[in-house]
This record gives sequence, structure tokens and C-alpha cells, in this order.
Amino acid sequence: MAARFTDAEIAELLAEPKPLPYDYQGRLQLRQRSGHERAELDVRTPSGNRFRILLRQNMRNALDFSAIIAHAPPNSSLFFRLRRYNGRSHEHTNRLEGTTFYDFHIHLATERYQALGGKEESFAEPSNRFADLRGALNCLLDDCGFRLPDTPQLSLLEGLTP
Amino acid sequence: MTPEAVERDFREKVCDQLRLASEGLDRYRVFTPFQFEDGDHLAIVFKREGSSWVLSDEGHTYMHLTYELDERDLHKGTREKIITNALSVFAVEDREGELVLRIEDERYGDALYNFVQALLKITDVTYLSRERVRSTFLEDFRALMEETVPESRRAFDWYHRERDPDAKYGVDCRINSMARPLFVFAVQNDDKARDTTITLHQFEKWGLAFRSVAVFEDQESINRRVLARFSDVGEKLFSSLGANRDRIVQYVQDSMNG
Repeated sequence: MAARFTDAEIAELLAEPKPLPYDYQGRLQLRQRSGHERAELDVRTPSGNRFRILLRQNMRNALDFSAIIAHAPPNSSLFFRLRRYNGRSHEHTNRLEGTTFYDFHIHLATERYQALGGKEESFAEPSNRFADLRGALNCLLDDCGFRLPDTPQLSLLEGLTP
Repeated sequence: MTPEAVERDFREKVCDQLRLASEGLDRYRVFTPFQFEDGDHLAIVFKREGSSWVLSDEGHTYMHLTYELDERDLHKGTREKIITNALSVFAVEDREGELVLRIEDERYGDALYNFVQALLKITDVTYLSRERVRSTFLEDFRALMEETVPESRRAFDWYHRERDPDAKYGVDCRINSMARPLFVFAVQNDDKARDTTITLHQFEKWGLAFRSVAVFEDQESINRRVLARFSDVGEKLFSSLGANRDRIVQYVQDSMNG
């Protein structure tokens, strides 16, 4: 069954330190799959929690992309998407608030939308912090408790996109 | 409220949310009130193709579905049937992931209705994932490799950058710093077994020096003929991860030390 989390638990999951593996850049290299490019990276925290970063880039529209962080709850059969950083390729409507916008935006998992029975990350707010997938991933890493590896790295996300 | 007023409200509601925005020469974004379950609206573009006009999702619909579904799951079983049926009923083409509806006889409204209905039908496949069991096999496999092989000696999702820049032939975990690297594959289903068989054949064709080991999620679930072909090229096979954990660790360590 799908797991449910309170807002406080969601905040805790986001804040939990998540060490990136030394080769995370290579593992986030995009690969082509029927019309879009994708990459996924699993990260395990010292406490044993499991998270996954998912990247998607539409090959026909540079503004259509997603950077997602999902949690793999130990007692659930489905991933729980905590945040999703989306490009400007479609409108979004927040059903509870009745707001609609067409912009770069960030989906956030919330308790109130889970209570509706819909997708946990159905609430979204516009953002001007990023304009491409690379920027979206940078925001995700900054916002969601990721820790860079100790080993020297090249510039962040160098070579991520073709 | 009178029926006339209700009808007027219906019309205003739908019409107000239907609009076009220019995005360059002969290209328009179509805004509609129709949404995925997460509140994102369908992505629709109205554009010219040669002498005709089409509606296209520019690949967004399938990409959106992969936020929670494995790409391969879209092309098999009930999901494939739902998608194939929706495309057929509404005359929508699947052009390598881009869904396209050609507009005939200037029937723009009909085309939009058909296209929206097709996309909504296709998004219904996410409801089939509600009770899907999320296997932890790949995560467990990766964790085992991380525990067993030092970071400096392993590379996940490796591919040959010179011979295979498109990464068509991947290795789940390559263990290096020995005469012949050890290629470790995690095999969870028939598709992966077939892909790995092809990959190993390709490596042989390229003349790569390597050793290989495959760890199955459940070897007994693999089709007999698929497994037979795989066995012809796979050097060492483990029938499952859990029950063979110690043997896998020993084999990998012996390989690294040998």
C-alpha cells in the first residue's frame, strides 16, 4: 500500500542528510529512452532510509524536464515523491487553492493533498530559481539535504546534459 | 439556477480555459483544463507539418508516466493494451514516444476532443500501479556491491565510452583493477536476461577482455529458452541474491584478489 506522511515527517525526510556517492555525476548521466532522456540514482542514508533522484528531459522541448526526489518507505510498495522540479511546458492547477499558472514550478508533497486521495505531490508553486534541468537538479540537491562526497569533484553536474 | 444558466456556466468554464498561445512560426501551445492526477495539465502543441496541421504532446505524456512507472511496463500487459486501444480508437500516432494526431478536413475541434480523450485514457494506466509491489532487488544488489567492492574499484551503470557512446550495452557494476575486469549483472526478468545476453555477445564481438557474473532476482521465473541462451554466454550465474549472498561476496572477493 502507498505510504502516507505528515507534513512534519515530510520535512524530516527532506532535511535528513543524504550522502552522495563519489561517482554521482556519472550515475546521473542522461540516457535516451523513447523520446526523452533519463537518469536515476539511489541514495541510502546512514539511518537506512532510501531515496531516489529521478531526472527526465524531453528531447523535443528543452523546457520540458523534471528533477524528482522520491523516498522508498520500508513498508510500502510504492515510492513517495517528496519534491518535483518541473520545467515550463504545461499549466498546473492546485485543486484545493484553485490557482492555475504556467511557469517553472516545484511540486511539494503535502499532508492535505494526500488526504484528498490524490498524488502526494499535487501541490505546486511557481519558481524562478531554475530554467533548465541542470538548475533544477542544483535546487533539488540544495533543498533536500544532499551532501557532496569528500573526494574532489569537477564542477557540479558537469557533463550532465548533452 | 436555471438550466440555461447552468449551461452558460458550463460553456464559460470550458471555453475560458481553452486558449492558444503562439510559440513561434506555425506553432502554438494549447491550454486546456484537462489534467493529470497531480494537477499538471496535459501538454498539447498545435503545429504545422508540411501542408497539414497536427496536435502533438511532444513526448510529454509518456515522460510524465515514467515519474512513477517503469518505461518497460508501458509496453507490456494490460498497460500496453490500454495504450494501444486508446491510440487506435482516437487515431493517434505514436512516433517514438511523441503522440500525434493529424487534423483532417479542418475539423480542429473534433481533433482536439479526440486527442484529449486519447491522452486521458493513456494516463489511466497509472491507476494500475496502485498495488504494484516495488521490488528492492536492484537496490539490494547495489548495496551488496557497495559493501563488497571498494569505491575505487567499482563503477555502476558502466558502458564502453569509445565503442558505445550511446550507452546501449551497459554493465550494472564493473569491477576493475585486475587483469580482466569483472562485469556483474543484476537480472530481474526475461527482458533483462535477453538484454544481457546481447550485451555479452557484443562485448565478445568487440574483443573485450572480461569475466562476467549474473545475479538473478529469481532464476526460476526466467523463461527456459531465454535462460538457455543466456547460459551460453554468461560465465557464472547465481540463481538469487538473498540465498546466495555469502557465495556472491566470496566469488567477487576471490575474483578481485585473483
